[in-house]
Amino acid sequence: MSHEPHHPSRLRRAALPVPLSPCASRQAPASRKVKAKMPKFYNDDPAWEDIEPLPQDDGGLHPLAAIAYTDEYSEAMGYLRAVMAKNEFSERVLGLTEHIISMNPAHYTVWLYRAKTLSELHASLEDEITWLNRTALKHLKNYQIWHHRQTVIDALGSPKGEPDFIATMLEQDSKNYHVWSYRQWLVKRFGLFGDDEELQWTEEMICADVRNNSAWNHRWFLVVGGKDGQSVGEHMVKREIDYAKHAIRRAPQNQSPWNYLKGIVRQAKLPLSTLKDFALEFADIRRPDDIYSSHALDLLADIFGEEEDSKEEAKKALDLLATRFDPIRAHYWRYRKGLLEQTGSAGVVA
Amino acid sequence: MALVSGPGRGMTAMPAEMQLYVDKHVRYIQSLDTRKDELEYWLTEHLRLNGLYWGLTALHLLGHPDVLPRAEVLDFVFSCLHESGGFGAAPGHDAHMLYTVSGVQILATLDAFDDLEARMKGGRQKIGQFIANLQDRETGTFAGDEWGEQDTRFLYGALNALSLMGLLDLVDVDKAVQHVHSCANFDGAYGTSPGAESHSGQVFTCVGALTIAGRLDLVDQEKLGAWLSERQLKNGGLNGRPEKKEDVCYSWWVMSSLAMLNKLHWIDGEKLTSFILQCQDPELGGLADRPGDMVDVFHTVFGIAGLSLLKYPGLAEVDPV
Repeated sequence: MSHEPHHPSRLRRAALPVPLSPCASRQAPASRKVKAKMPKFYNDDPAWEDIEPLPQDDGGLHPLAAIAYTDEYSEAMGYLRAVMAKNEFSERVLGLTEHIISMNPAHYTVWLYRAKTLSELHASLEDEITWLNRTALKHLKNYQIWHHRQTVIDALGSPKGEPDFIATMLEQDSKNYHVWSYRQWLVKRFGLFGDDEELQWTEEMICADVRNNSAWNHRWFLVVGGKDGQSVGEHMVKREIDYAKHAIRRAPQNQSPWNYLKGIVRQAKLPLSTLKDFALEFADIRRPDDIYSSHALDLLADIFGEEEDSKEEAKKALDLLATRFDPIRAHYWRYRKGLLEQTGSAGVVA
Repeated sequence: MALVSGPGRGMTAMPAEMQLYVDKHVRYIQSLDTRKDELEYWLTEHLRLNGLYWGLTALHLLGHPDVLPRAEVLDFVFSCLHESGGFGAAPGHDAHMLYTVSGVQILATLDAFDDLEARMKGGRQKIGQFIANLQDRETGTFAGDEWGEQDTRFLYGALNALSLMGLLDLVDVDKAVQHVHSCANFDGAYGTSPGAESHSGQVFTCVGALTIAGRLDLVDQEKLGAWLSERQLKNGGLNGRPEKKEDVCYSWWVMSSLAMLNKLHWIDGEKLTSFILQCQDPELGGLADRPGDMVDVFHTVFGIAGLSLLKYPGLAEVDPV
């Protein structure tokens, strides 16, 4: 929501984001059972009687560890230190690391040791993924989990089932950076740049929330990133320009598709003036009361600035931004105007 | 970082809503290490060394560098140091780039490289070598540990720590620079890896790395400056990505990047100052991500560092890199 309009009745949003519009055919989130948590201890467990837990070496556990859960965590860590000290890789270590991760998934050493154990035991990677699915849903902000998943899926050699899992994760937070980064990794690892379903999926995500910058970035990654520096075909350029324009018409005050549109035009080496008529649809500087997008004004300032006889229009657009449509960045807009006066160009920011 | 003036000076004339509660923040940070009976303390063990660096930095900025006893801080830091030259987050944790950087930053802040030498012969070189070994010689980027996860955060951390130790020549800086350059996006900003979505935090790491390498010429400064200034919302706070909520920590990531590009004035400093101050806990000290939320040391240091860049009176000056 970075461009809150100065004049709400004018710069209103043409369409509000719809988190779950019918155009997105995605699964409902997996049900999450909330069961009463019983602490789990090892000291009276016969399966662990051969292990003497190792205390923390900076003075031992604090005597005031009053909360039962803290005792549980400290004890489990003591057993982990002990098995790590003797390099034990076993089924029970998988159980122990699972237990600790459920309490504290950000402890990277535990993940590392679990990965080693899996590999030493040649354990079932499918089972690991099933477990990871549940765990990821409980710890949405954790990132160690994604690297672990990458290692496991890489070893499995197939992305099968991953799109469904990702959809479930994005139901929780549609802009989760780790999830999108992981999706990019899948595309690279399994060569999905030209995959129709992948492109179709970004469309569904954008359709569900036209302000989802992560989804726009993924689209760029598929369309341009996959080309590895080679030019995007004419047909594709036209398709992408139309697509971005359509999205802007749904919500003119939305940074993502404007950035995307300008990016595609630049990528295709088309002149910025290609977009002049389109920008004028949202910001006719002669009628300041009918301006619907500060991004259109910004673009027009650049286009006018490039033209021979339109410097005054460019300045007018920048003034409108500084005083009325984006006053929090008044200094920036005045800087742009200053450039225009110095050099006769608005410092093109395409 | 230079200490320009003592605490409290010039602040009494401030209206209540513009007050920075220096003493409360100092006490809050001091209290963090005495809360071992709380679950939170144990669950954040994996951040212990980072937390110490953040707390120490905040105390320096607030003009109270000495309230954490130097000898104890160093004892703890050295207890996290492995024979390999890497630091773990706490004793018994594996060595990792992120903690190694914090370790080096603390040693630099406390001017303690001689102490390091006394504890570990050739320690500086060993740490430098640990970091250098994490560089991917083909792509120039850095991994966080032997596990291999790569991210521009690790690359920045590596260059930062190596430059603090004067050991940049241990790595291929040109390749690292090329890698950062390949993370530039169509909107002018940077992500965690080539093609990854632009994010203010990653912009900081990339611009910071290029600043250390002396290669800011590779940045499209106008366009990135515009993207960064677009992070400011009507309430004065800054966000990390388009269409996301504001958060105090971006006061640092966005502002320090703008400072490195000499474009701090492109945002509304007064509105940001007032937003950061609203995130304080006026009773118990500390800052939260946004007004009314729970405080933590991470948001405390980045809020205070943001205020320092905004030249809030009485705070020490922070180096944006």
